[in-house]
Amino acid sequence: MSTTSAPPSTAVTPPYPAADPLWYKDAVIYELHPRAFNDSNGDGIGDFPGLLQKLDYVQDLGVTAVWLLPFYPSPLKDGGYDISDYTGINPSYGTLNDFRELLEQAHRRNLRVITELVINHTSDQHPWFQEARSSRDNPRRNWYVWSDTDDRYRGVRIIFKDTELSNWSWDPISKSYYWHRFFGHQPDLNFDNPEVREEMWKVMQFWAEMGVDGFRVDAVPYLVEREGTSCENLPETHEVVKFLRRRLDEKYPTRFLLAEANQWPADVRPYFGDGDEFHMAFHFPLMPRMFMAVKLEDRKPIIDILQQTPDIPENCQWGIFLRNHDELTLEMVSDEERDYMYDMYALDSGARLNLGIRRRLAPLMENDRRRLELMNGMLMSLPGSPVLYYGDEIGMGDNIFLGDRNGVRTPMQWSGGWNAGFSVADPERLYLPLLSNPVYGYQTVNVEAQRRSDHSLLSWMKRLIRVRKSSRAFSRGRIEFLQPRNHRVFAYIRETGNERVLVVNNLSRAAQAVELDLRTFEGYIPVEMFGGNPFPRIGRLPYLLTLGPYHFYWFRLRRL
Amino acid sequence: MAEESFLSDDFVSQLTAVGEVDILVGLPTLNNRDTVQRVVNAIIVGLVKYYPRERCALINPDGGSKDGTTEAVQAASIPDFRAVLASNPLRTMHVVSAQYPGVRGQNEALRMLFAAADLLGAKACALFSPDLESLTPEWLDAMVRPVLKDGHDFVAPVYQRRRFDGLLVKNVLHPLIRAAYGYQVEEPVGREAAFSGRLAAYFLGDESRREDFPGLGAHVWMTTAAMAGGFRVCQAFLGPRVAASKRSALDLNTTIQEIGGSLFRCMEIQQAYWTSRQGCEQVPTFGFQPVLDLDPLRIDRRRMYQMFRTGVDQLESVLEKILSPATLQAIGEISKAEERHFRFPDDLWAKTIYEFASSYHHSAINRDHLLQALTPLYRGRVSSFILENAGAEAEEVERKLDLLRQDYERLKPYLVEAWNRQT
Repeated sequence: MSTTSAPPSTAVTPPYPAADPLWYKDAVIYELHPRAFNDSNGDGIGDFPGLLQKLDYVQDLGVTAVWLLPFYPSPLKDGGYDISDYTGINPSYGTLNDFRELLEQAHRRNLRVITELVINHTSDQHPWFQEARSSRDNPRRNWYVWSDTDDRYRGVRIIFKDTELSNWSWDPISKSYYWHRFFGHQPDLNFDNPEVREEMWKVMQFWAEMGVDGFRVDAVPYLVEREGTSCENLPETHEVVKFLRRRLDEKYPTRFLLAEANQWPADVRPYFGDGDEFHMAFHFPLMPRMFMAVKLEDRKPIIDILQQTPDIPENCQWGIFLRNHDELTLEMVSDEERDYMYDMYALDSGARLNLGIRRRLAPLMENDRRRLELMNGMLMSLPGSPVLYYGDEIGMGDNIFLGDRNGVRTPMQWSGGWNAGFSVADPERLYLPLLSNPVYGYQTVNVEAQRRSDHSLLSWMKRLIRVRKSSRAFSRGRIEFLQPRNHRVFAYIRETGNERVLVVNNLSRAAQAVELDLRTFEGYIPVEMFGGNPFPRIGRLPYLLTLGPYHFYWFRLRRL
Repeated sequence: MAEESFLSDDFVSQLTAVGEVDILVGLPTLNNRDTVQRVVNAIIVGLVKYYPRERCALINPDGGSKDGTTEAVQAASIPDFRAVLASNPLRTMHVVSAQYPGVRGQNEALRMLFAAADLLGAKACALFSPDLESLTPEWLDAMVRPVLKDGHDFVAPVYQRRRFDGLLVKNVLHPLIRAAYGYQVEEPVGREAAFSGRLAAYFLGDESRREDFPGLGAHVWMTTAAMAGGFRVCQAFLGPRVAASKRSALDLNTTIQEIGGSLFRCMEIQQAYWTSRQGCEQVPTFGFQPVLDLDPLRIDRRRMYQMFRTGVDQLESVLEKILSPATLQAIGEISKAEERHFRFPDDLWAKTIYEFASSYHHSAINRDHLLQALTPLYRGRVSSFILENAGAEAEEVERKLDLLRQDYERLKPYLVEAWNRQT
């Protein structure tokens, strides 16, 4: 019987001081896939030694944490989210020792490492499932959710609507149905079974012991099923989370849990519990509304959703992002909003997938540098820890013809040379083809070229991250929206302790004038944070600013 | 010396915040607190329902209301859009209130709207009355869509009227404008209107806008200026129009002063256009025409007849200066008819109107007096019309009105000749 083995002998201890337990609140997270980042052995697939070679780049970018997409043994039918061994390393990416070395080197660079914890389901190739399906009285049988009929949990929505007809699939071996919220090859684990919970804790312990700093927990809302419910966000699911959190806090108090719960803010809020469930959760509904706001040239969608966002416990944080390895999800928008997003951002129906848009940031912004800067500027200044998706810092494009979400998972473009500097393999061997069109191809968009220019997107992103990290008002401050009459201008104050930052974004493609009511800050001097130039002192009258198209300001408000 | 701006700094500041728009809705007000909130809400729901993606603003020029009208406009809100429309607005909706300068009423309000439309680059503008009780969100769509989606420049409303309602329109304005300007527009002085951004800019720059058109006269000017300017004109069905403030029969003198006088003045301004205009075209009509059987309007026909006879008798010396001897004689003869046999024939009525228009143009007498003299004759025509159509079905009434329009058209050379006659 296969169970999780004992933790590896050599634990990698973070070299940095036992650390602020709230470090994740100040984090700038860089999401990458080992497969896509750098190939060290010329097999066409990125790997940990390759990633290790590029760790200086990640550090130089200024991010403080790396989130690694699944790197476990897997049939790779769902980008590695179909795990067949929770404590192994997919041989394509290296060995446990390679991973241990990566942790060591990352920590030396003050980079935290966050890994995936895909606990809702396994691959159907996982030995647990193979055992469970082998006979109805197998001890593992109850590790999954089985039924003799496919009419249990009727009405529960199907997430992958484009490919799945039901949440039940027929298992011809044990002649019964198994439950899956995602693909049919990803049977859901049964968290009503205490053995499953214990096993998952062992998995976490395995990686935490090695030195992993946090876990991004996949598909959280779906852990438990109950008849007559949506099978999402159930109280029993929260019990599972509390159980794992309690264990983690007891043994690894500075590690953290990040929830993937694609839900409305009010439904995500319970996942923070009383500060005893997740440390961080992604704010999914915010992301599409940032895109919507820029297209509508109206701050309303962003303010609406942030005003609907409940307060969270002091020790918790939102995770915010523009793009990630999945489609730009449109589950948490109204029908009208979804239609609008499709019409504005995915006129080509090939860009649509499930309830979303499978595109990267740069193509969504039509490669408009000003809009890219504005979007990143908002990402770095709104409440939450920002997550950057690899390649977006250089404006990489996508290829919607690669099927599923592979179009946004193409190899990192390091240079204009052979295979974009990603691999020395024959181009045909690459796990996915490189982008080669004249606009987004690696000859045009690559790290090497952008490193040479202080004005490249990459250089600008580094500055942006540096400035973001210069004030805790961004990472820990409260937000207060200003409501100037001009709806095209999105302005807010971030404030914590003595630090105050005024952010003014022009969401419009045209220049705008705006009068801000800053009487509360009468006497303060706004100092523009990128150049350090002081602006006129704030008085009693409305503070007049003009902004160029898609321009934004960050002002440190100083009392001198 | 630079011309002083008629837009206040505050208004400009508010417009700056609104920025470029696709649709601008104008809502001029003056002491309409009791009705205006419902109108604002209907407009906002209409915008959100039919134009969720367009950039919209509602501009409320106010004449200095003392009853809290602008506060009511600003306070109007839809607490729960989802309950009304099953969706929420995508965009910010700006509602701008500003007081217009001077005492020229509707003219100044319109001037502000034209300026706002021009400044904000509006593609379509719509104008609604603040006392409308029958306004639904659908009205907004009916008016705006022909401009925004079909490239029309001016949309006149078509109301569903009760029998014997709108007789001034049916007997004077519609047939006269149809014959003179060559457009078959049912309601040339509708209180509602829609126009394109380019027409708003034209209105703003048109010198004739500076004329002091009283009351509804500004609407006559808009309609005829759009026609004379060669803009694409159409009309849209709206349904029955119910407003809180209704003009009583006692206002007839004023109404004729406002509407008749404005039309005659517009004909002077635009004479180069209409005197050379040939033929008459049907304008496109948008929307769904509901079939409703509305009760006829009650009019005291006998009193109208008596006032006609008294007027003809007492105003003979005035009418002599306005009408040709033949027309005056014919009117004199019909005024002697017994009430039950009384008829004001279509061709005689058309000639009468044409001679009043020409005399107005030639300033045969003081223009106000001239218009006052038209009132009793109009009463005679109304009395005759009601008598003729007392038992008629709607189709029969329409057929008879068509005959009247034909007479107007047939006699247009008579109008042109009289208009151009040297005095």
